Amino acid sequence: MRDPKWRDEGEEPDYRFTLANERTFLAWIRTALALLAGGVLLHQFATELDPRLVVTLLSTGLGVVAAVLSVVSYTRWRANEIAIRNGRPLPFSWVLPALAAVCLMTSAVLVVLLLVA
Amino acid sequence: MAAYSVPATGDPGLQPERTALAWSRTALALAVNALLSMRAGFVTGQPVLVAVGALLFAASGAAVAIGTVRRRQLVGNRLVITPPRGALVGVAAATMLAAIGGIASIFAEGAA
Repeated sequence: MRDPKWRDEGEEPDYRFTLANERTFLAWIRTALALLAGGVLLHQFATELDPRLVVTLLSTGLGVVAAVLSVVSYTRWRANEIAIRNGRPLPFSWVLPALAAVCLMTSAVLVVLLLVA
Repeated sequence: MAAYSVPATGDPGLQPERTALAWSRTALALAVNALLSMRAGFVTGQPVLVAVGALLFAASGAAVAIGTVRRRQLVGNRLVITPPRGALVGVAAATMLAAIGGIASIFAEGAA
């Protein structure tokens, strides 16, 4: 595997910043894995919860969000790394508000399901 | 291109140590999902899910190995800053595989 081209752009960054970027990538990956585990656990263990279709949709949705996050975490790491190397501001991303919205919706649906049950 | 390395400066933020630890935590998160996938596979009798679980255990082991390499690279007088080749792409791909396995487990159970 050859080094990607962007590694030749700009200057080698301050090591603390690039290590922080690596940790941020790993934190996003763990977030994706946690959402996925939540979805699978919800489907496997919340068998009393009705309607079943909503539970299935919720679990599938969490799995899809995890899949999207796994790609986004890499593209964001790469974009941040390029921005740091070129001394540019870090790119804005909709991932944070979108993830917060997903978490809010999931909790809202779960609270309604639990109250109805 | 050689990996970028810098002399250790005694960073009071302990960033090298936190980075190495982040790899180990990620390996644990992968192992949890491997267990879940295997359990779903055995409960619903889906060998595909058991295989996904086994693959994820392997990925978790790889992440432990990368964590060990990273810990060695990030202690001592010189710090190797460049992450190991393919490590980030690999762990992102393993997470994608886990997500596909997880979604499959939901529908496998629905069909059983």
